[in-house]
Amino acid sequence: MAGIRVENIIKLFGKVRALNGVSLEVRDQEFVVLLGPSGCGKTTLLRIIAGLEHADTGRVFIGERDVTALPPRSRRIAMVFQNYAVFPHLTVFENIAFGLRMQKASPERVRAQVDRAATLMHIEGLLGRYPAQLSGGQRQRVAVARALAVEPEVLLMDEPLSNLDALLRLEMRAELKRLLAESRTTTLYVTHDQVEAMSLADRIAVMSTGNVVQYDVPMKIYQEPADTFVGGFIGSPPMNFLRLPVEGSQAKIQTLALDLPAAPQGREVLLGVRPEDLEAHPQPQPQSFPAEVLVVEPLGPHLLLTLAYEGQHLKVTVPPDFETRPGQTLWLRPQPGRLRWHDPGSGEALGHAR
Amino acid sequence: MNARLVYLTLAVLLALWVLVPIFLIATLAFSDRASVFAWPKGILPQQFSLETISFFFGVEGVGKAIRNSFLVAGLTLVLAVLLGAPAGYALARYRFAGADAYRVLILMTRAFPLAILAIPLAVRFINLGLYDTALGVALVHTALALPFAVLVTSSLFLGIPKELEEAAWTLGCTRVQAFLKVVLPLALPGLAATAIFAFVISWNEVFAATLLTLRERTLPAFLLTALNDSPLPFRFAGGFFLIVPALVFIFVIRRYLFTLWGIANR
Repeated sequence: MAGIRVENIIKLFGKVRALNGVSLEVRDQEFVVLLGPSGCGKTTLLRIIAGLEHADTGRVFIGERDVTALPPRSRRIAMVFQNYAVFPHLTVFENIAFGLRMQKASPERVRAQVDRAATLMHIEGLLGRYPAQLSGGQRQRVAVARALAVEPEVLLMDEPLSNLDALLRLEMRAELKRLLAESRTTTLYVTHDQVEAMSLADRIAVMSTGNVVQYDVPMKIYQEPADTFVGGFIGSPPMNFLRLPVEGSQAKIQTLALDLPAAPQGREVLLGVRPEDLEAHPQPQPQSFPAEVLVVEPLGPHLLLTLAYEGQHLKVTVPPDFETRPGQTLWLRPQPGRLRWHDPGSGEALGHAR
Repeated sequence: MNARLVYLTLAVLLALWVLVPIFLIATLAFSDRASVFAWPKGILPQQFSLETISFFFGVEGVGKAIRNSFLVAGLTLVLAVLLGAPAGYALARYRFAGADAYRVLILMTRAFPLAILAIPLAVRFINLGLYDTALGVALVHTALALPFAVLVTSSLFLGIPKELEEAAWTLGCTRVQAFLKVVLPLALPGLAATAIFAFVISWNEVFAATLLTLRERTLPAFLLTALNDSPLPFRFAGGFFLIVPALVFIFVIRRYLFTLWGIANR
């Protein structure tokens, strides 16, 4: 068991800066998710920690050891790959035993460890089979069991669920969470799926174009995004951003005046508000502003409305029995305490310590 | 409908074009002397007999030529795999400057006519003491087989996901161990096919073998010089013995040849 610390990692692919001086610390026994759109450098960072790529500058520590110059085999890590990378010429048993055999473990220890890992992943009945005889979900389990069997100090997972179908992904997600809560292995997990990140992580590191833009617990990331990128990337539908005029230390939505935490640079400010944090009413209300309904989408647990306020679109979720139709004007009341203010130029949150 | 009919007709004609001579050679190689000389020859197999074949093996020099052919083809096989597989691996795994140019260059060696190379090669081989040796012929055959060996093995290694190797590294393997424990077992059938293909190329090659040898002839070179002044049964038996190994091997490895063509079409 050990934490991970990377310091100031820069990685260039030709002229492209894949990683732009990334520093990150994962505490012992913590489950951290690297989240970001494709091309943001999250997989590259993971591969650098695994030793499969080499950073141009920067250092990688696992526990107290500086592993920057060590090959993957000496880092005491295990990795689960997106395409599972289960060895097709070996049985499930030999796949799981592979790392132990490399450590020259005794046959009794191999047997015991394989049985333990296979039982954890519920594949104890498949040990004699070859990977070709397994389904995608079962191969996924073999890959995780193989990683756990070596009892690594650090477990690295590269989009391990993205090749599974939606239902199986949901099931495996819950199972992974249970499993890693039990084994308390320090885990760094890469995904582009924000729901996966929210559900699994102790902390999420949101990445964009080679930088970590925000590193915090999931609810903080959701409720207090550091900038408009994070607010727009996390949440489905994403956070709404309304461009509003500033008067003194207040922002104006028609007659509604909202206090700002800090005076913005310019004469406009962006209001960030989650779709569920706007309360819709058919009649005029105090502390609210009018918007015209454009689209109504029934999604089951709620209705998703697309509205327009002075030419700016925003999404609002309302209860499924809420009666409305396109063309109607609704009054939206922002939930106090759930509003975020961003600088319209940089997109960064106002009064957000970075 | 009409296009399909034309297509089928052409396919049948093409198949007959290849199969009829093979069929005639095969049946006559296993017929007795009388039916070999008979005219017109029947379409169906004549009276079965090993007379022709045994006569062929009785001719002086045939046994030695067959031994030489096996020796040369065996050497070619070993050299082509030992040189071709690492090149194929490098092409499949590493992105290096000029990789595409290198790939084309490998094929270009096949575009260079052997006839132009032959005289300088013969002179050089005489100087080096390689002339009229199995090794000398095998070296030329290796040069001929190498482009195929490199391209087939590179597509072979491309077909083995890099992540398998990387997984092995993270589980405690050095690069060499990962290759031996993971890549090699998976590549083995394809490597065997590559080896067999190199063998067949060498076995069938006649031009270089004729030019670069005098006494140490391979079977095709021996037959080529002996064919004109030999009796008919000898020709049929010799032809049969030349065709069969190539046919059998190509049949065995046809699946891998398709991958080669897949690569060539890219």
